[in-house]
Amino acid sequence: MASASPEKTRWMRGPSTPLRGALLGLLLERPGHGGDLANRLAARLGETWRVDTNDVYRLLEQLEKTGLAVSRDEPKRNNHRRTHLVYYPTEESSAALTLWMETLLPREPVRLGLQAKLSVAREEDAHRLLAALRAYERECLMLAQLVTPNDGRGRSWTALCLDCTRDAVYAQLEVEITWATRTRQRINEHLERSQ
Amino acid sequence: MTPLLSFLNVSKRYPDGGRDILVLDRVSLEINAGVSAGVLGPRRSGKSTLLRLAAGIALPDSGIVSFEGRDVGQMAGSERGRLLRGAIAFMSASDWRATAGESVVDHVATSLGSEGLTMREARRRATRVLDRVEIGAAGAEEPTTSLSQTERARVMLARALARQPKLLVLDEPALLPSLGERDRFYALLRDAAQESDITLLMASEEMSALQGVGVLMSICDGEVISPQARGTVVPLHGGRRAGAERSWQ
Repeated sequence: MASASPEKTRWMRGPSTPLRGALLGLLLERPGHGGDLANRLAARLGETWRVDTNDVYRLLEQLEKTGLAVSRDEPKRNNHRRTHLVYYPTEESSAALTLWMETLLPREPVRLGLQAKLSVAREEDAHRLLAALRAYERECLMLAQLVTPNDGRGRSWTALCLDCTRDAVYAQLEVEITWATRTRQRINEHLERSQ
Repeated sequence: MTPLLSFLNVSKRYPDGGRDILVLDRVSLEINAGVSAGVLGPRRSGKSTLLRLAAGIALPDSGIVSFEGRDVGQMAGSERGRLLRGAIAFMSASDWRATAGESVVDHVATSLGSEGLTMREARRRATRVLDRVEIGAAGAEEPTTSLSQTERARVMLARALARQPKLLVLDEPALLPSLGERDRFYALLRDAAQESDITLLMASEEMSALQGVGVLMSICDGEVISPQARGTVVPLHGGRRAGAERSWQ
């Protein structure tokens, strides 16, 4: 892990750091207005991230406040009478992206709601927990269905990176489903023993 | 519309020491023609049992498995055998059998024995389908004993596709060491099924092997779970936990 001054990693604090980092990378590839960057972000990360355009505007403003992006009011390409904000990287952007690539991100809480329920569940809640776990499994399966499949032809670096992103989603969802099924199994075994 | 395959309250037990293990507990689901469905589950979760019942290789202890609206359990053994050689194809990587001296194209062509084709016609169809799974003319003449793991998986797929089944059931068909080759195998499988209007039902321990399926299910502890998707796979509530499901809603 890189040892960087707190000043340089300040922009990585708070929620949505992965999205800010990804937006920074997209800006370095090509400047763009908020809508364009939101579309590119959604295409790059895939449907499971559920990127919200309003969030993208907010994150771009945050990047600008921390000096990693700069916006200019420019005429729209198809309507020169109207303008929109186009975001550009700054001199700091590239080094900031490099630092983000080298920085270990904190572990994010997963299935927090279910864990919280489990932590305080009474035995009489067993069936409610089972139903909640099934609902969670369905949600994970539904998200996995949204992932665009790999055609197995990718030879470029970009294709490889997309494959790795896809694998990350599958691996995370697989772990979640495994956990949910094991938890259901434990509860069922307990219920059968107590009958 | 009659589903291509349906399970109605299907249960299956296996003896384990002095007691029975309930592998499937009153599972109900329907798979319509043209759908691709994936079953995700860890080892010994019951996914192979589910597939063997779907293919008519095994019969349930209770409940009904129907193919095109007909109860498979009520069919005579010979009729079930014909089904498995015709409308249903079953593929599992562990079922690979190579005969010394046999070429790849002959390996695929001989599987068409019950189709009423001449050997020449069978070889022509085998060549076409081998080409579909990216095994060219040179590869088709290679002996089956010289094939790599990836090539074996593709030849097995070709063998299953050559019979032009309505339902292709695949149990962990390609746990290949190369991730790129594995991705390509599944892409070929999906494309071939779509082109030929074949319904897919496949199972794996790995979610990435099931990428691109229309409906993804998970199986564990005798129960099948799937996102509700009307018109494709419709898991119907049932079994010992149905009451729990209702009480939560």
